[in-house]
Parts: sequence; C-alpha cells; structure tokens
Amino acid sequence: MAFLKVFVRKAIGGLVMIFVVASFTFFLIRLMPGNPVTTKLNALLATGTPYPIALSKVSVMYGFVPNQPVWQQYLTYLGELAHFNLGESISYTGVSVTHIILSAAPWTIIMVLTGVIVSFVLGVLAGVIAAVWRNSWIGQSSTFLATFLHGIPQFMLALVLAYVFTTVWRVFPFGAPYNAAIQPGWTPAFIGSLAKHAVLPVAAYAISGYGGWALTMRSSVTSVLGDEFILAAELRGLTRGMRLRYIARNAFLPLFTTLTLSLGFMFGGSVFIESIFDYPGLGNLLTTSIGAEDYPLMQGAFLLITTAVIVANLLADLLYTAIDPRIRRA
Amino acid sequence: MKSAPLRVPLSDSEIEVSIRGLSVSYQTSTGLYDAIHDLSLAIHRGSITAIIGESGSGKSTLAMAMLNSVTFPGKIRTGAIDYADVGDITGLNAESLRRFRGEHAAMVFQASQDTLNPLKRVGAQLLDMARSHGLRDRKAILREGSLLAERMSLPASRVMAAYQHELSGGMRQRVSMIFALALKPRVVLLDEPTTALDVLSQSHVLQIVRAIHEERHLTTLLITHDMGVVAELSDRVVVMYAGRIMEDAPSRDLLRAPRHPYAKALIRAIPRLTGPLDRAQALPGAPLELRQIPVVGCVFRDRCTLRQSICDEVTPTLREVAPDHRTACHLEVEA
Repeated sequence: MAFLKVFVRKAIGGLVMIFVVASFTFFLIRLMPGNPVTTKLNALLATGTPYPIALSKVSVMYGFVPNQPVWQQYLTYLGELAHFNLGESISYTGVSVTHIILSAAPWTIIMVLTGVIVSFVLGVLAGVIAAVWRNSWIGQSSTFLATFLHGIPQFMLALVLAYVFTTVWRVFPFGAPYNAAIQPGWTPAFIGSLAKHAVLPVAAYAISGYGGWALTMRSSVTSVLGDEFILAAELRGLTRGMRLRYIARNAFLPLFTTLTLSLGFMFGGSVFIESIFDYPGLGNLLTTSIGAEDYPLMQGAFLLITTAVIVANLLADLLYTAIDPRIRRA
Repeated sequence: MKSAPLRVPLSDSEIEVSIRGLSVSYQTSTGLYDAIHDLSLAIHRGSITAIIGESGSGKSTLAMAMLNSVTFPGKIRTGAIDYADVGDITGLNAESLRRFRGEHAAMVFQASQDTLNPLKRVGAQLLDMARSHGLRDRKAILREGSLLAERMSLPASRVMAAYQHELSGGMRQRVSMIFALALKPRVVLLDEPTTALDVLSQSHVLQIVRAIHEERHLTTLLITHDMGVVAELSDRVVVMYAGRIMEDAPSRDLLRAPRHPYAKALIRAIPRLTGPLDRAQALPGAPLELRQIPVVGCVFRDRCTLRQSICDEVTPTLREVAPDHRTACHLEVEA
C-alpha cells in the first residue's frame, strides 16, 4: 500500500515534469532564428507565385495559419498532446510524427541498448579489476585504458573505427543499416546483414561508454574497499569470492541510477555515431528535423527523450528500493 | 576459569599466544618506521590480558598483527606470533590464514558500528561465514548465533532477520561480538569494545565479556585506554607506549603499585567519581608520532619527570623487577 502511494506520487510528479519540459521545448524551438513557413513561402514567391496563392498553399501544406499567434499554437499543441497526437511532420509532408519516430526508434534502441549493455558489463568488470588490483600492473593498465578511452570524443572514435575497418581494412560495410540488395524479412541473410552493419556503430557506442563506467566503478569500489565491513569480512575469514561479492554489490549501487538514466537517454539516439555510420535512428532524425526546421518532429523527438528519462528515473527510484534495504522504509 | 597461581612461573603449556621479537613497520615517504618495535609477550591461556596506552601507542596495530592482517603500507617486519596448536601465523599461507581468522582467533573492532554488509541480513551473513569455513551443518551457526544473541539480551529472531541499519549502536556492538564468537574461537581480541557505548551499555557489555570468557574458557585480549575497564575485567595489564611494552604485570599489582613512570602517570590521570576533579592529573605532553620515536634511549624520556642522562643514552630493556612483573625503566623506582 505504501509502495502504491509512493508510486502514484512519483508518477504525478513525472507527468508535471513532462508538461513543463514539453512547454519549455515548444517555446524554445520557436525562439530559434528562421521558421519553416517563411522559408517555404519565400521559395514559392521566388518562383513567381502571387502572395495570396502562396499563402493559401502554405497554409494547406502545414495545416495552420502562419500568422497564428504563438500562444494559440501552444494551446492547440497541448490539446493535441492530451490526445497523444504529436501532429504531422513538415519535412515529410503528411506523415504523422508518431509514425516517423516509431520507425526510427528500433534502430536506435537496438544499437544503443546493445552498446550500453556491452560497455556497462565490460566497464564494471574493468572497474573492479582496476580498484582491487590497483597496486599491480593489471589494475593500473586497466585504469589507464579506461582514462584513455574516456578521453576520446565519440565522433572521433566513430570516425577512426569507420576509417580503419571500412576503408583501410575492409572487414565491415560502410553506411546504411543493411545491404539494400537483400530483401528485408526474417531471413538469415537479412539478419546477418543487419548484424554486420551494426557491429561498428555498436562498437563505437560501447567503447565510448566503457571508460566512464570503468572509472565510476573503480572509484566506487575503492571507496567500498575502505569500508569497515570489508575488513571485518576479511577478519572473519570469508572467502575471497564472497568478499568480492560483498564489494561488488555495494559498489554497484551508485552506478545503478546512472545506468537507468542512460537507458532513458538512449531515446535521444547518438547523433554523431548515427550520422557517421548513416544509421536511420533517432539521433539522425533529430539532426534532420533541426536542419529542416521541422517543429512538430523536433517537439516529438524532444518529448520522447524527456518522457524516457523521466520514466527511467521513476523506474530507478522504484527498483532502488528492491536492491537497497536501507531505502525500503522511506 | 583456569588460572594458575600468578607467582609461579608459567610453563609453556599454559601459554596460548607467544609473541617474540615482533616489529611492525610503516613505509612512509621519509623512510621505514616501527609502529611496534621488538615486542615480546606471552599471553596466558584463559586469561584476560588488557593492553593499555594512549592513542597511537600501537595497541590496535598489535591486535591487527595478531591476526596477521596489518595492511599496506604497514607490514610485519620481523618476529613470530605463535598460537598454541597452530604455530607461527606469520608463516601461514593465505588459505590457512583465512581459516585461522574466525575459527581460531577473532576480533571485535574498535567502535564496531559498521562491521556488517549493509545489504544483507545478519542471519544471511552468519551463513556466509559458515560457508566460508566449510561447516557441514550450516544451520548450526544460526542456532549458535541465536544462543549468543539471547546470552547478550538481544531479541534473537529479530536480530537474525535484521539489517545493520535496523540495529542501534549497542546492538551492533553486541552483534559484532556474536560474529566473533560464532565459530567458537579460542582467542578473542577486543579492540576498545566499549568506546562507542553509553555508560550503561558499557557495563553491560563488560559483564557479558567476562561471563562468556569464563563459560567458553577463552583467552581474551582487551585493548583499552580505560583504567576502569582494566580494574574491572583483566587479570593482567600490558602498558604500551610508542610501540613498546613499558610495563607488564598482574592487574592488581600494577594498579596498586605501578613501577614505570608512564604507568604511574596513566593511573594518576584517572578521574575519580568522588573528590575534587583536579586530583586527576593529565599527562603532560603528547604521545610521540611515528617518526619522532627516538632510536636510542628511553622512548618516554621527553615526558618523564624523572629523566636522567642514562635515559638519553641507553635503551632500557624490559626486565623483571618483581616476580611476574616486568618494567622497562632504568630507575629502580618504588611506588
């Protein structure tokens, strides 16, 4: 019962936050210089179309009166949002934003989720090694590698990977999410092609995340190692394996929130990696929508990121009570 | 309790732990310093031996050394620590040492407030201990734990199911004693077992220590800086200063007639419950830091009121000044 109460309270807080961020995004986007309607209108005028005809064409095309005041647009937006209607895209005329986002999402989710999981598992292991054996060469080289990889910008890493493995040494295909010559479907050939094309983007994502996980876990483990109960466990003659489990579980707690949040941020896609490998995910979508000044699409993409992060945060709060008994009563 | 008449020299079979020539040193940026220097001590089977001295005198380091668990940058430089039926533990391999800890000798920490894994219940952690020590009947440790809990006036079933954060300070202290005793060790090291407790809990814990010590025929080493605890509990007192033994005698003798100026000063510093507070005299000066400890001469001379030239030139050795009473002082001072 108490659990339900906490859940409802946090869920309401989440909804309020989504509303605030959605409103904020709405106005922020409209503060950007330029707007798609004037751009289109000018283009039509340049072709010699008389102004009234151009205006009516644009109104039909975008579904609203260009000179409608911003607050009225805002109210319309909120009204539609309440019905889960994100509107229609401007650059992909007539296609609903929801549809565009849903078709881009799987690409990102597959790539980023795999990347996060791989980097997290490897990074946490490396962090434990770096902390427990911090006085030996193995721990020190683990720390060095993590620091080094953490320092490389994501786009540079992606470019280097792309250059080395698709150009210098042609082991992986470059660009596109799969081989266009293969008919999409649940066939081994198609799935194989998907996997082959996903290796480099996933690797880029995983390697760029690895260092952060490893360094965070390292410092977390180091701090737990100094805790009294670890020395006490040693003096009680607990086996090394058991002590490592005590350490790992306690050191993992601070990383848990970060992990859940990064799964939320996953819906922002990875702008650099997706554009370098020409991967049709959410990050690519976001960049194109900004380039095209496609307001509804931008709003939709931002709203998705916001909602995902807030939901992930809520989830982290709830799951935390399951893994840390000290929080259960709160 | 098994205890030999104190005036008769003890034979080897009555010695549970024998420390010989122990030096524990710390590596620092300016060199290697001894936190314990050439210390020899015999701990009698079935006795409660109190180790007393100010903070920084090496008491806790000695306790850690007695489980061979001095941590980096400290290490046991020389010497042997012989346990009856085990041998020198400084020579044990990692696995034997792990088994030795908990099964043969156990320690209760100073303060002992956070000695449990915060994410596991007390009972589950006892089972981890049983598993680590290869107990055939693992549930037996839970029965033992409950028994000890009741012995210490704790609600056994509640404590076994509790997480550390659900226990009060006094309860945590007693739970850490349950862990120390769960595998029925022969030697128990208590590092200031009562410092974190209020006065009522203190006397309760001390009574429990005494009772369990006798029931289980333990050999107990009690580290403290509280002369009251010494008087109430111990058979024997070892006074330490700067990593060396200053005086080693039966408690009654030492409390009544201390020989070493440092031991005398410690006793004079005890505030009495009755009488004017200023009858308690604080010890002048501060304990030495590791790198200030002189290599030659008496280590206490800078704070000693009886200092003479010999104290600067010759290192006093620990010698018998009365039967079963050792002191490291040049001056034959009577009480």
